[in-house]
Amino acid sequence: MSDSEQPPAGGPPQPADGAPAEPPVTEPPVPEPLPTEPLSRTDSPDPAPVSRLLPRWLAPAGELPGPFRRAFWRSPIRGPWLTSVFGLILLAGVPVVFVTGLLSYAAYNPDLSPVNDTTPDKGWLGFYLFSWPTRPEWLYRVNQGVHVTLGLVLVPIVLAKLWSVLPKLFEWPPVRNPAHALERLTLFLLVGGGVFEFATGIMNIQQWYVFPGSFYTLHLYGGWIFVAALAVHTGLKFPTVVRAIRDRGLLRELRVSTARTQPEPPAAGYLASPDPATPTISRRGALAFAGGGSLLVLALSVGQSIGGPLRRVALLAPHGQDTGSGPDDFQINVTAADAHVTADQTGESWRLALALGGSAARSLTRAELLAMPQHTARLSINCVEGWSTGDQEWSGVRLRDLARLAGLASPAPVLVQSLERAGAFNRVVLSAGQVMDPDSLLAFRVNGADLSPDHGYPARVIVPAAPGVHNTKWVASMTFEG
Amino acid sequence: MRRLMRWYGAGPLHLLALLGCFAVAGYAAARLVPSRPAGIAIWFLGAVIGHDLLLFPLYALADRSAAAVLRHRTARLPAISWINYLRVPAALAGLLLLLWFPLILRLRTRYQASTTLSPDPYLWHWLGVTGALFLISAVALALRIRRVDRATAEPEQPEPAQGTAPDITTDAHPGEVSGPGADDAPG
Repeated sequence: MSDSEQPPAGGPPQPADGAPAEPPVTEPPVPEPLPTEPLSRTDSPDPAPVSRLLPRWLAPAGELPGPFRRAFWRSPIRGPWLTSVFGLILLAGVPVVFVTGLLSYAAYNPDLSPVNDTTPDKGWLGFYLFSWPTRPEWLYRVNQGVHVTLGLVLVPIVLAKLWSVLPKLFEWPPVRNPAHALERLTLFLLVGGGVFEFATGIMNIQQWYVFPGSFYTLHLYGGWIFVAALAVHTGLKFPTVVRAIRDRGLLRELRVSTARTQPEPPAAGYLASPDPATPTISRRGALAFAGGGSLLVLALSVGQSIGGPLRRVALLAPHGQDTGSGPDDFQINVTAADAHVTADQTGESWRLALALGGSAARSLTRAELLAMPQHTARLSINCVEGWSTGDQEWSGVRLRDLARLAGLASPAPVLVQSLERAGAFNRVVLSAGQVMDPDSLLAFRVNGADLSPDHGYPARVIVPAAPGVHNTKWVASMTFEG
Repeated sequence: MRRLMRWYGAGPLHLLALLGCFAVAGYAAARLVPSRPAGIAIWFLGAVIGHDLLLFPLYALADRSAAAVLRHRTARLPAISWINYLRVPAALAGLLLLLWFPLILRLRTRYQASTTLSPDPYLWHWLGVTGALFLISAVALALRIRRVDRATAEPEQPEPAQGTAPDITTDAHPGEVSGPGADDAPG
């Protein structure tokens, strides 16, 4: 656990690690029976502090039962090397997932208005660096595609890493000293926080909302717990990783076949089995196994963000299904029925209430709006869940033209309100920058046809690079800050 | 100070780093927990033990059972480490199920109402991918057996005592797998 971890004092003589000994190919690389008793009880270099700290029952004189015995764990490939390599892969991937997650948080422009803030009690955990830009228009698509797809792709590596450190869960005695106890507590946060983040994310993209609370709350704060523990774990384990990789070599070990796979000597660390079984897979085989899982997950899900013909390959992604070839046939995430928006509300009687500040709103019919200069933009809707509709051709009135019509002299944010009564995203405040982008539209048509009810008829917002839910459907009113 | 650090078991930097971690995590937890303390606690504990005490026993048992049941093979087959040809497709199919079981098993989710898409295809997609994985694995194993057969047939020499090609794992102890040795571990 800690770097105070040392090989057992007075352990059996071990073969020198990295010895070029090429054993006869078929000889099972099991060393002669080891006197494992001293190993299984404690791997503390100095048993005195243990006996001072622990009650007698925690340091039994006899044999420990089952998994608490170190020799219970017999995998010949478990050891610091394999765990370090899995750890390094995660160290490359998890920070990317974390940063894209924070960027997605920023993309909602939470500080612009309480309306946009899904986690109002965030304190210092939702710091805000910049107003979310509209260019490049693929920014949010790529950000969320990476966040979600990389998160999915890392799952096999996380599972492999958890498998590789399993014996440590049963390490005996459970605590050796205060440092060890605290460090185990960070591992509790690391594993709990990590699995919690992966689980809530994966459930959210399948819209299986059984987690205890709002997804935004759970995923943001859980992410901080995970990353705090990951940072300290990385710092404390880095010397161990460097030593493990240096001892066996990275590329050297990758050239070793199953038949020539040697267990790490028990002195290399607690994870190395003192009684290893015959290898059935090499270390490179185990890496290829986990990496193959990652590639499979990638192939079966990335199509939902990239779109095009690849979407058909996304056989196991929530938005991998082909929806048809009509003008309105692209992915939906809230239907009109779901939003309780009725045909009465969106028919002839529909009006857009356009207002500046607290002043009286002016009512505009759909015909009046269609008589204004219409602009066309090719933009995609990109969901926080990691999928994209791919580019569609939207046409409608520029938001900045509506701002001018409302009487606005200089750029300002706008509150857009939907006909949808309930629902977390039935309104949004768009920033001045989002309003001023020439491709930001109040759209009436898509791909040459009127919007369908499920795509927001009679009018919806479309803003480049904004999170999908900010493209408000069934728009009822727009109030510019005066 | 030195006595204190000796009692603690590590250096002051160690303690400082851990306190920093607990400060951030505690701050986040103070925002996370109050809404539904019991629910959050159960979820967090579940996340901690989910792999180690739930998934692992299941897949370790499956691995050992497969090894034990399929140990008796016809003697005409060459000694090949065949377990991975079973392990890999089974584990990959299991991984996909773990990720997508709400869709595959058609659990009651918001999916259909929100997206207008039916969850029905996912079970078939998963079964299809699983079938393809096992098929690929079976073909790979057949090719491997043929290659090894030829390699052993060609040199008309008396059979060596043990394995022939350097890349073949001899299955000297087919009962032993790289999972935990639960029963007969010495010591």
